[in-house]
Amino acid sequence: MVVPLLVKDLRKDYLVKGKVTSALRGLSLTASRPMILSILGRNGSGKTTFVKIATGQLIPGSGTVEIFGHDVISSPASVKGLISLVPQECRPWGHMTPREHIYHYQRILGNSREGARDRVQFISDMLRIGSFMDTEAVNLSGGQRQLIVVGMSLSAEADIYFLDEPTIGLDVITRKNVWEGIRYFRKLGKTIVLTTHYLDEASALSDEIAVVSEGRLLAQGTLQQLQNMLDYNTRIRIPAGFAKGSLEPYGKVVSESQYEILYTDEKRVEEIILSAGLLKTRIEIGPVGLDDVFISLVGGSIED
Amino acid sequence: MKTSIIRDIRAWQSFTMLNGLIPIFRRPLALVAILSTPLSFLFFVDIFSHGTQLLVGSIGGLIFTVINAATMLQSDLLFGKIDLKFQQMIATTGISPLVYVMGMATGDIVFILPGAIFFLGVIVYLTPVTVLDVALIIFAAFLTWVFFSLFSYMISRKVREMREIWPISVIFGIVFAVIPPIYYSLNSIPVPFQYFAYLVPTTFAALIIKDAVANSLGSLPIPLFVYFVETVLMVVFATRISDWRQQTI
Ligand SMILES: Nc1ncnc2c1ncn2[C@@H]1O[C@H](COP(=O)(O)OP(=O)(O)OP(=O)(O)O)[C@@H](O)[C@H]1O
Ligand SMILES: [Mg+2]
Repeated sequence: MVVPLLVKDLRKDYLVKGKVTSALRGLSLTASRPMILSILGRNGSGKTTFVKIATGQLIPGSGTVEIFGHDVISSPASVKGLISLVPQECRPWGHMTPREHIYHYQRILGNSREGARDRVQFISDMLRIGSFMDTEAVNLSGGQRQLIVVGMSLSAEADIYFLDEPTIGLDVITRKNVWEGIRYFRKLGKTIVLTTHYLDEASALSDEIAVVSEGRLLAQGTLQQLQNMLDYNTRIRIPAGFAKGSLEPYGKVVSESQYEILYTDEKRVEEIILSAGLLKTRIEIGPVGLDDVFISLVGGSIED
Repeated sequence: MKTSIIRDIRAWQSFTMLNGLIPIFRRPLALVAILSTPLSFLFFVDIFSHGTQLLVGSIGGLIFTVINAATMLQSDLLFGKIDLKFQQMIATTGISPLVYVMGMATGDIVFILPGAIFFLGVIVYLTPVTVLDVALIIFAAFLTWVFFSLFSYMISRKVREMREIWPISVIFGIVFAVIPPIYYSLNSIPVPFQYFAYLVPTTFAALIIKDAVANSLGSLPIPLFVYFVETVLMVVFATRISDWRQQTI
């Protein structure tokens, strides 16, 4: 099968007033089959730079991006029609309604009038934005405007969707509507490349997660695979000031403002509770999450 | 999907809708703003010349108005590129940058059309022009629109912040629609300056229109030829450099 996305050793320097910023320093990642691939990384780690290169906006320094076997960099025209994009911080035209946005985007994609109208209806139902479809964007809220842009992008019948922080500013319920939409596309066999700072979103949606830092890939895999990379599989949250010294022998202790977090092995939980005298305090026990993986991976590389 | 020519036409229509026909009814103030400068010029030219230069003022007004469409296009393209990131979404659709640019430029025509028709009307009213003359005037305006729309596109590729474009647009308007001999006659300036004037494409637009209204079609072929060739070269050049991709965006 043709690989939806294959990125190899991508490099990009920005030159601003004689000063060079290396945004990508040999980024490689792959979506080997149709999937939801989330890209996580701190601010400035190069996610948007990657998306801009992959969607034919930006010329890289070196490296390759292949989309379904087509080389984006040497022949950008070959991938047109295959990709769709929600750019980071994209906004709709103030003077137009959501319906007009999606309709005209469809027309720009070459759809017939009827086909465009059908697509508008489909997106309106999917994202549940029917109630404000005919309101000019200036009169909509920030999240509602964001939905217009997401709706435009999802209205395209592409094979791979690059969504750069698509759910920013959306409330919990609305966000889940977008997730549903993304999952629906995934079921249709589409590939979705998602960047997000919401780790719960990445956990809930992703088939695979790629963690990038300073323009390089640190790790890519399923949530489970990433969790397995940690030395501990269990997290115990204990109110701060509670016997910190006595926790050290059981694993790794990290202090947060009101809590101590003890990373440890699931098998030792009972023993710890009894011997560290945790029975009388309110503690939370759970598996390590994506945030633990993220902090451990990215935190490590920042210290270098 | 569809053959590319049908696609291009559909896209073109939509760019014209979203940049012209939809906003003009919802934000009509721009119409007044666009007319205000050339109408003020016409007013002053008329006052100071005691009515003798109304025709020249109208010819200037017509060209000025077309240049206005091109300066509007600069803001529109940059707004779409920088503020809205709309251009990034368009880039992935497979439409060529020039279809986008000229579609948006057609949208801006909607805004200048009332002004252009007004000035053309005054010209027709003041002079005994033939249908051919009117066609020539419209053709000169058309070349001006194509040339300067593409020029605006090139500028928009280089600018990376909204604030940068306002001073550029003002200077653009002055250099192409105020300083060159469109509101006055080329022969009224010293010869060396006349050569400089020939470097500015709008000079030829004014020459074509002035020849057309003066019924001196004998001297017309040269400016017509030069302006046509300049515009064709501009199209060729713009086609060559047009690319969604840039080193920085
Ligand atoms: N147009 C530009 N010109 C110069 N430098 C840039 C430009 N765009 C990004 N950079 C630099 O490149 C690096 C990567 O930026 P990028 O936007 O790709 O990060 P990101 O991972 O998307 O961050 P965020 O999560 O904040 O969106 C940053 O250090 C940034 O300063
Ligand atoms: Mg980003």
